[in-house]
Amino acid sequence: MTLHTFHEDLTRREELIREYLLRKVDADTAEAFESHYLSCDECFEELQASQLLMAGLRHSRIEFRRVADVLVLQFAGPAELIRQSFELGELQRAFRQKDTKVLIDLGRVVKIDSAGLGQLIYHYSHVVKNQGMLKLLNPNAEVETLLRLTRIDSVLETYHDERQALESF
Amino acid sequence: MTLDPGQLEKYRLKLRYKVCYHLGSSCPDVDDVVQETMVRFLRALQSEKMRNPESLAAFLSGVCNNVIHEYKRRVWKEPVSGADPAPPHSFADAGAEMTELRQTIGLVMIQLSTRDRELLRAFFLEEKDKSEICLSLGLTETQFRVALFRAKERFREIYQASVKRKAAEIH
Repeated sequence: MTLHTFHEDLTRREELIREYLLRKVDADTAEAFESHYLSCDECFEELQASQLLMAGLRHSRIEFRRVADVLVLQFAGPAELIRQSFELGELQRAFRQKDTKVLIDLGRVVKIDSAGLGQLIYHYSHVVKNQGMLKLLNPNAEVETLLRLTRIDSVLETYHDERQALESF
Repeated sequence: MTLDPGQLEKYRLKLRYKVCYHLGSSCPDVDDVVQETMVRFLRALQSEKMRNPESLAAFLSGVCNNVIHEYKRRVWKEPVSGADPAPPHSFADAGAEMTELRQTIGLVMIQLSTRDRELLRAFFLEEKDKSEICLSLGLTETQFRVALFRAKERFREIYQASVKRKAAEIH
């Protein structure tokens, strides 16, 4: 495919940019693309945006996936749901959408405090208000003890098996 | 043949990007390589060595390649080949080396709709091909093209707004 056609074919352009950033293009294609973006502001802007986007996708702390109509939230790495932690802020902002069936996988949550528990309850109330349901999955022993001591487990259903949790919605 | 300062600045920025791609953004001599490229390029323009003004960018890219190759030979003492020695993924990560930038991008990502994120993730991160994504998301090829373009556009808008907001908070 020539550079002119990729410039006009948006999908092909995105594919080429992706392959270029992942260094999967051969030297000739890389050189042709570089010669092109030196003179094409539009393609250069797309290239820069894709680089940021790929970095963002790779470093996002919360992963989202949808299983049937259930939104599953999972932390990408060890997370602390404590006051002023970055993960707590991300979790707070993750709930801007109007999802009504939400499963939060706490498997990677290593620490939680009153702020984190409060956040879970807040989201639970918000989802329930929209006729939805929020449930928890895989809390570690420490988190589960806190959920039990605070009696939050009587409100927020907790599961250790994802299939069971999904079927419960 | 002469170029206006605005065009030269654009070339300089893009060359910097290209040099970072080939030498890595942590290379301490990126700016020197860019500068040397610009000097050779401007000399060639002044001495009328450029025969075809339409291929100016290709000529500039070629000059830059020569400077990069010379740099690699000098500093890395490696035979220059078409293969790039940098590990895969290093460049896609390069823009996010700073924690603050990573956090900004992370915050942008969660403001995207689930569908946008799913699409962008499948295409850019999981490197799925068009037909596979169309099948899993129930899209036609045309819908896929539009959805990908719009999702990326939304990412860019939210990112730019976020950067502006942060800059305003600082000042």
